Amino acid sequence: MAAAALETATKELQQQIGLTTDGNQFLTFNLGEELYGVDILRVQEIKGYTAVTKIPNTPSHIKGVLNLRGTIVPIIELRTKFSMPTIDYTAFTVIIVVVVRDKVMGLVVDAVSDVLNIDKKDIQPPPQFGAKVDVSFLNGIGKSNDKLVALLDIDRLLLDDEMQNDAKAA
Amino acid sequence: MSDEFAQFQEAFFEEAAEHLAIVEEGLLALEQQPKDLELLAKIFRSAHSIKGASGMFGFNAVTQFTHKMETLLDLLRNGEKAVSPPIADLLLKSTDCLKTLIEAVKSGVAVDDEVVQRLAAELASASGAQAPVVPQKQAVAAPTQSEHQARRYLIKWTPPEWLFQRGLDPLQVIKELNGLGELSSVTLDMSRVPDLAEIDPEKCYLSWELQLLTGKDLKTIEAAFEFVREDSKLVIEEREALSVKRETSESGHDTRFTNDDQRAEDGAPKPLGAILVESGVVSPAVLEQALSQQKRVGEILVEQKVVTPQQVEQALQKQKQQESATQTKKTDTASIRVDTAKIDKLINLVGELVITQSMLSDLGARFEIKQLPVLLERVAQLERNTREIQERVMGIRMLPIGTAFSRFPRLVRDLSTKAGKKIQLVLSGEETELDKTVIESIGDPLTHLVRNSADHGLEPPEERLDNNKSEVGTIRLNAFHEGGNICITVEDDGRGLNRDKIVAKAVKQGLIGENDKLSDDQIWPLIFRPGFSTAEKVTDVSGRGVGMDVVKRNIEALGGTVSIKTVTGKGTTFTLKLPLTLAIIEGMTVRVGKETYIVPLLSILESIQPKDGTIKTVVGKGELINVRGTYLPMIRMYDVFVLEPEYTNPMKAILLILETEGERVAVMVDEILGQQQVVIKSMEQNFRKVEGIAGATILGDGTVGFILDVRGLLEIARHGTPIAA
Repeated sequence: MAAAALETATKELQQQIGLTTDGNQFLTFNLGEELYGVDILRVQEIKGYTAVTKIPNTPSHIKGVLNLRGTIVPIIELRTKFSMPTIDYTAFTVIIVVVVRDKVMGLVVDAVSDVLNIDKKDIQPPPQFGAKVDVSFLNGIGKSNDKLVALLDIDRLLLDDEMQNDAKAA
Repeated sequence: MSDEFAQFQEAFFEEAAEHLAIVEEGLLALEQQPKDLELLAKIFRSAHSIKGASGMFGFNAVTQFTHKMETLLDLLRNGEKAVSPPIADLLLKSTDCLKTLIEAVKSGVAVDDEVVQRLAAELASASGAQAPVVPQKQAVAAPTQSEHQARRYLIKWTPPEWLFQRGLDPLQVIKELNGLGELSSVTLDMSRVPDLAEIDPEKCYLSWELQLLTGKDLKTIEAAFEFVREDSKLVIEEREALSVKRETSESGHDTRFTNDDQRAEDGAPKPLGAILVESGVVSPAVLEQALSQQKRVGEILVEQKVVTPQQVEQALQKQKQQESATQTKKTDTASIRVDTAKIDKLINLVGELVITQSMLSDLGARFEIKQLPVLLERVAQLERNTREIQERVMGIRMLPIGTAFSRFPRLVRDLSTKAGKKIQLVLSGEETELDKTVIESIGDPLTHLVRNSADHGLEPPEERLDNNKSEVGTIRLNAFHEGGNICITVEDDGRGLNRDKIVAKAVKQGLIGENDKLSDDQIWPLIFRPGFSTAEKVTDVSGRGVGMDVVKRNIEALGGTVSIKTVTGKGTTFTLKLPLTLAIIEGMTVRVGKETYIVPLLSILESIQPKDGTIKTVVGKGELINVRGTYLPMIRMYDVFVLEPEYTNPMKAILLILETEGERVAVMVDEILGQQQVVIKSMEQNFRKVEGIAGATILGDGTVGFILDVRGLLEIARHGTPIAA
């Protein structure tokens, strides 16, 4: 009971100071000129890019694995995953470590941008391009000022991939 | 129940399980050496410990049953009775029963009372049959009670009225009685106390009914009443038999074990029969007869034609299943008993570690470059400490596999009696250590395999003699380390798998086509299919077609494999191969291009630098290397893992000769970097299994290195990459 009351109070306070955690707060990052967003609650940490160990015989978007304080974390190159041309890594290249159903994974992105509050009313459903462009891993398109943020469904993005591979491996 | 109490209980259950294991093991050994008094004494001590501890916790059903076992054991120990096969058998059955009883208290499930009663009676009659000592008024009572054996007395005491006038305190008497043993119930009878107006405060109107559990004899008890004896009404009688009868009557009404003393204390009504007997209205014998006529619900229903016997049977089966289901769930609590010496050593090591650490930080605080040798020395010391601690911590979880093997002598003994076969069990490699969780999980699969060997594998004695084999069939259980794995083999010298039968069955079940040409290696694994059994008749031991699929599933769940080797007429060998997950392995770090891989040291036979002309090809591609006269297939690791090597010329590279499942291959790498212990990290935790890689580890520079799975590497080399890069 007390916990529930506390939660409500916290929420009210957060709303007053313009901070909401209703799942519409996003960490945004760049891939080239495009802006993407992931639910901030799914982000465990952001770390600078360090060399990874390549896993033999895996799809090319799986860059390799990294030692994250003793756990082995797979790193996914988002550009390759989206079939975008790869670029040289810079000082801004970072790994966003996310949690997908108990699994910890890293996403290599060009640079992190901002933490944005996007109201539910400013989120529109993902666009339809037909078979030409696969956007099934998008949750929606967010508008913030005049920026467009493609909101990622990381469960879909990462796990579908996993499942596929699992099925093949099995 | 308070946590603390629960904790003590937990300890009791653990200890009881250990004692039971000792008893069982001892009894099995006793069958072979019936005259071994030392062994008997050991069994007796364990049984006694269970009795004592269960009594302390008030698990009366357990206490009483163990007491009966103990009585018989005592007779054997004193040489008043010889160990004979029926007695050993009875004791073994009783051990099982005791196990069930303890399990029942632990999980709170009901026990098949009938079995308990029957065994209790058998035990009693076994001990009573040769009772050389004073005839007891109840035949069931233990006949030879040595001084330390507890007996139950019912004491009715009405002190004289003058008790208080002489300055005597009845409480003192009761206290003294309590000192003799355990007063399990004290009932005060105040029925003679008159109305307040009529009370003479100097007179005693009270009387007591006490139950005393003591090892002392009647005289000693009477001595407690020394000063108040005169004019007292005192009846002391042995009540052991009575309580047995009472248990019988209880079981007639419900199937749960209840603690009858507690009932009395709680004020809960005693069973009718018990009260009738106690008050002397009926004799125990009459009661027993009456109870024997009492029927179980199922029987009554069948008689009334409400249900069919089959339905009852089914319901009973279901009940049993549910019971066993609860039991397995309850026994899953994980704890481990560790030798205190191991812990002490560990504490010492941690102490050393702390000292080394403080020495290092001291050095770091005011470090000058000329102290470098000191620094290096201390770092080396730190490494020694760490390694030793690591080893010992891992060692805590490691248990010899003998603990999993220990159940088999009994199993095989029972199976051989049941199947009328002569079976000899040979155990080896019991000292092979592996992780506790693995040991616990392989118990069931192993049991299935042993049962299978005994039931299907081995022939009956006549058939064996006809086939020029020894009458006694042999089942061999062996465990050993191989290439970073634990191998456990279950081997029998029986008839071997029948290829024709399996094929026929598989065709019938539509698993294979009638005209399929299959190799033996493709045929044998068919027996792991669910519902696949070629046994002509289903016995209660095996043949229902469940089992082998379970074996396979369980072993695979542990990341292991099962393989079969069989020779018709000669026997079958099942090999379980289990990985040493959780473990730390010794590995050789090798380099291929820029990548570092770890090869389990146990799978490396040797490493060589090939000379010109030792490498030949077959059909232009398949490479073979001549190693001292034997040609081994050569695998270029960079080919398999799609890496950029430093050398593509084998003459410049290094070849590791690896062994996996009896097969040898040469694997080409650029360089050997060194040997080190590596901690296996799971790849599956955040990713998935990768072919050719057994796991990952963190290398000295903090990056990730992969541990090679030799078998997997071979598979990829043979069948191509599973996932295109």
